[in-house]
Amino acid sequence: MQRSTGLLLVTVLGLSATTTACGASEPAAPSPGGAAVTITVACQPAKTAPKERAAWDDDVAAFMKAHPGVTVKSTDQQPCFDPKTFGPKLAGGQMETAFVVPVTNYADVIGKGQALDISAYTGEIKNWDDLRADVRALVTKDGKVYGVPNVHYSVGLVYNRKLFAQAGLDPDTPPATWAEIREAAKKIAALGPGHIGYGEYSGGNTGGWHFTQALYGRGGAVLTGDGKKAAFNSPEGRAVLQTLHDMRWTDNSMGSRLLVGWESLMMAMGSGKVGMMLGAPDVVTDVVTKFRGDVADYGITGFPEAKASLSGGEAFMINPRATPEQAKAALQWLDFRYNTVGKGRFDFARGKTLGNPVGVPDNDVYGDSATGKAIQAEREKNATLPVRNYAPYVRAAAGVPPKAEPAHAQELYAILDVVMSGVLSRQDADPGKLLADAEAKADALLAAKG
Amino acid sequence: MISVGARATERRARERRRPRPIEVRFRTIVSPHQLNSRWGRRIYWAVLLTVLTLSTLAFVFPLYWMVTGAMKSGEELALMPPTLVPRAPTLDAFAEAWELFDIGLLLRNTAFYALGGWLVTMAVDVSAAYALSKLRPALGNVVLGAMLATLMVPPMVVLIPLYVTVSDLGLLNDPWGLWLPAAANGFNIFLLKRFFDSIPKELVEAALIDGAGPLRVLWSVILPVSRPILGVVSIFTIVTSFKDFVWPLLVMTDSDRMTISVGLSQTAGAVPQNTIMAGLVIAGIPTVVVFFFFQRHIMAGLTAGSIKG
Amino acid sequence: MRVLKRNLTAYGFLCAALACFAVFAWYPMVREFVLSFQRTNLVDPPAWVGLDNFAAVVRDPAFGTAWLNTVAFTVLALVCGYAVPFVTALVLNELRHARGYLRFVVYLPVMLPPIVAVLLFRWFFDPGPGLFNQILGLFHLPGLAWLDSSSTALVSLVIVSTWMNMGSATLIYLAALQNIPPELYEAAELDGAGILARIRHVTIPQTRLILMLMLMLQIVATMQVFIEPYMLTGGGPENATVTVAYLMYQFAFTYGDGYGQAGALGMMLMLVLLVFAAFQLRLTRDEREVTA
Repeated sequence: MQRSTGLLLVTVLGLSATTTACGASEPAAPSPGGAAVTITVACQPAKTAPKERAAWDDDVAAFMKAHPGVTVKSTDQQPCFDPKTFGPKLAGGQMETAFVVPVTNYADVIGKGQALDISAYTGEIKNWDDLRADVRALVTKDGKVYGVPNVHYSVGLVYNRKLFAQAGLDPDTPPATWAEIREAAKKIAALGPGHIGYGEYSGGNTGGWHFTQALYGRGGAVLTGDGKKAAFNSPEGRAVLQTLHDMRWTDNSMGSRLLVGWESLMMAMGSGKVGMMLGAPDVVTDVVTKFRGDVADYGITGFPEAKASLSGGEAFMINPRATPEQAKAALQWLDFRYNTVGKGRFDFARGKTLGNPVGVPDNDVYGDSATGKAIQAEREKNATLPVRNYAPYVRAAAGVPPKAEPAHAQELYAILDVVMSGVLSRQDADPGKLLADAEAKADALLAAKG
Repeated sequence: MISVGARATERRARERRRPRPIEVRFRTIVSPHQLNSRWGRRIYWAVLLTVLTLSTLAFVFPLYWMVTGAMKSGEELALMPPTLVPRAPTLDAFAEAWELFDIGLLLRNTAFYALGGWLVTMAVDVSAAYALSKLRPALGNVVLGAMLATLMVPPMVVLIPLYVTVSDLGLLNDPWGLWLPAAANGFNIFLLKRFFDSIPKELVEAALIDGAGPLRVLWSVILPVSRPILGVVSIFTIVTSFKDFVWPLLVMTDSDRMTISVGLSQTAGAVPQNTIMAGLVIAGIPTVVVFFFFQRHIMAGLTAGSIKG
Repeated sequence: MRVLKRNLTAYGFLCAALACFAVFAWYPMVREFVLSFQRTNLVDPPAWVGLDNFAAVVRDPAFGTAWLNTVAFTVLALVCGYAVPFVTALVLNELRHARGYLRFVVYLPVMLPPIVAVLLFRWFFDPGPGLFNQILGLFHLPGLAWLDSSSTALVSLVIVSTWMNMGSATLIYLAALQNIPPELYEAAELDGAGILARIRHVTIPQTRLILMLMLMLQIVATMQVFIEPYMLTGGGPENATVTVAYLMYQFAFTYGDGYGQAGALGMMLMLVLLVFAAFQLRLTRDEREVTA
């Protein structure tokens, strides 16, 4: 209640600022045609993260002050992108002007005409040319740009430094091979009941997604080159499952619980009893901000023996029904909040005062361009954590080629989820058979899809 | 409390002297004679005791575990074996749940949807039942049949097309998206109509002779005598709306507009166990309180549908 | 003229209900049918695809499993959710004490929002400090994996489902038992019928209709099971708890533009359930004839 009143107040102030600005006849007034424009933007932090939310609200106020005539309304649906509501929201005219789309759904959204062609407005993002070219290519189709890449990362190994120390392992030399991971997991699990050396999950398709991460890391592929056949029933696929099966049932280093879904593993990670898990640096951020992990405990290193990495990330796209004024204002907002060094999300000084784990290299959307370097410098300057904790990840990630998700990702993940939950829940599971079954299912699915 | 205890002692004292017969007010499978035989009585008390223990364990103990779980610390919750009574009972988890889940807002939303839905449902269904019962329009039976036919269609099956329809109308994240589909309830109309049918014609005719219009007849003749059925339908409408999960999950997706069930399910993954339990306790209280006060209505309504009223 | 006026007034009172039913009950039934032959993403105009949706649904790798699971769930839920309430009602009806308390307690879980029951049991099922394994431990029995194993997950869901639903069936049976005329028992007793014979020859025939009716109702209700797998298992492990309704949800909201495919699967579910519903309708009619 209070917040909306505050917002209203800000809006009123912003409007009166417009009139004064016009009265002062500033020639460079950016207000489009003097007309007021209202945009809605997604991803306001949830109320469960009050500090983040306050920072967001400050940004909105600051942006509106700097852009008279533009009114910004925020939505805080969690998660920002919900496939369940995406289609209906768009159809029902409820979609935000600027909404977020995860990399899994780029092709889908662009292909269906659910995002606006913003080629004409990319100039509003001042650092546009510094965004990684290969990441920009993901949101470009037939030469037209449909989104502003927002986050990009590759998968690494997140680990709990404190547990490593307790188990007599050196937190500064995290495991670099699967054999080392197995050894480390055993030692951490031996710390006592409730300790999980290596965490993994399944259920609701998430297991299939993580299987794909592991498979790509080992150099495997989900589909053949032409996308017509399944390719995961391979030595790499079997190795992924065999390792998990050994850790779960031979070493007993994965806990006794079958974790269902991403959140349950994150909860366990946040409680400080999980040694390692596959994940991108954003796992560290989430564990700390949403799952109450202790900032100092978490480190990240490269994916062991990585051959390739499943691309992860998200982009902002614009509602296809937005007016040109709205689209322009929305891109200005994205520029301000997400793409300006020292502002919005890259305001690391503020992040530091909020107690965020500043220093986590959770986004290489700018690669090593000038902007990317400036961001990294800012980040290191305000780091609340020894940046060298993440150096192994940064080093490893730079050399690993990104690999996109397979076509029909969700359907395939549903099939692979079965495989993953099989090895994690059954001691007598046979990885070869699980993969052969899944392969038959996937081939049938692909044949049906044509 | 004291009097009950006193009566029990008195009874026990009497039993020692002379076995008091088990009072039988209605005949069931076991005959009163058998029941009051020497063994009959023993078996009866044994069965009674077993049933009391079992049903308390099965239905009350889980709730006890939920409430006490919410009063334990995170460490105590993880203990094996668990503690039966919280060592240091605290309400911290409730405060935390209140804040994290934003339960105040969720409860207010849910209450608003339930009450609004109740008003809409009553207005729509009562007037429809009234028209079908007392005004008897042409094709009234066809209309009633078509309304009852919707009861044959499993809700999960029409979920998707209903969702698509509501989305087409732009009613997502709008309370009307909950209220209007809820008002299309054939069962309510059936129950109300059957009750209205039993109201003597003379009553209505007398009012008509006095010059009352149909609306006035409904308001001052029908409704006052229909209190029992109105009570049953009201309580069921409100409770159903409070308990509903799948439909609000699809329709009310804004975190500011979620119902308590949906809100809990969305946040439950990201908070500690004792906080979840506290959230569940709070979410369970309203319907249980309603049950406490309207037990008889609810049980009457439960059997109204399947057995002749 | 008077007739016309009466009809106008009547339809005036009916119009709100007619509108609600038309838009939110009748139209979706038609739409369901139409949807199953279309491909739509809700934004572009829908395209007719003939039987493609049905073909795609049947070919889905989880299709067969979902039906098997749903049937298994329904059968198991009937074993617990049908026999247990009836026996409970029989026993409750014989008791002369604490009747109010017992009825209250049995119905209590029904009053809780399902999400409360489901999340509560998720915690009970925890293989570590969860209540169930701790109780098993008390009797020196080995713990079970409950939701975590493909062999016990479905049964675990049945347990939750029975716990939160059996109260209404119990009370309905109880009411039916109380309607049995006492003379019948007395007559049976005079014929020398023992307790079991009285149940067989009096109780069951007298409650036959309500028993059959509840059977149909419960089949229709349990075959739509969704919340339990959605909240507790995400369909796992190894698809052991994927139900038809859950798969429908997956089609509609997780896979690409699958509203049409969800519609096709819904049509199949509807056809199956209509058989039971029709049977139920006949029973209701019989019952009305009997009681009229």
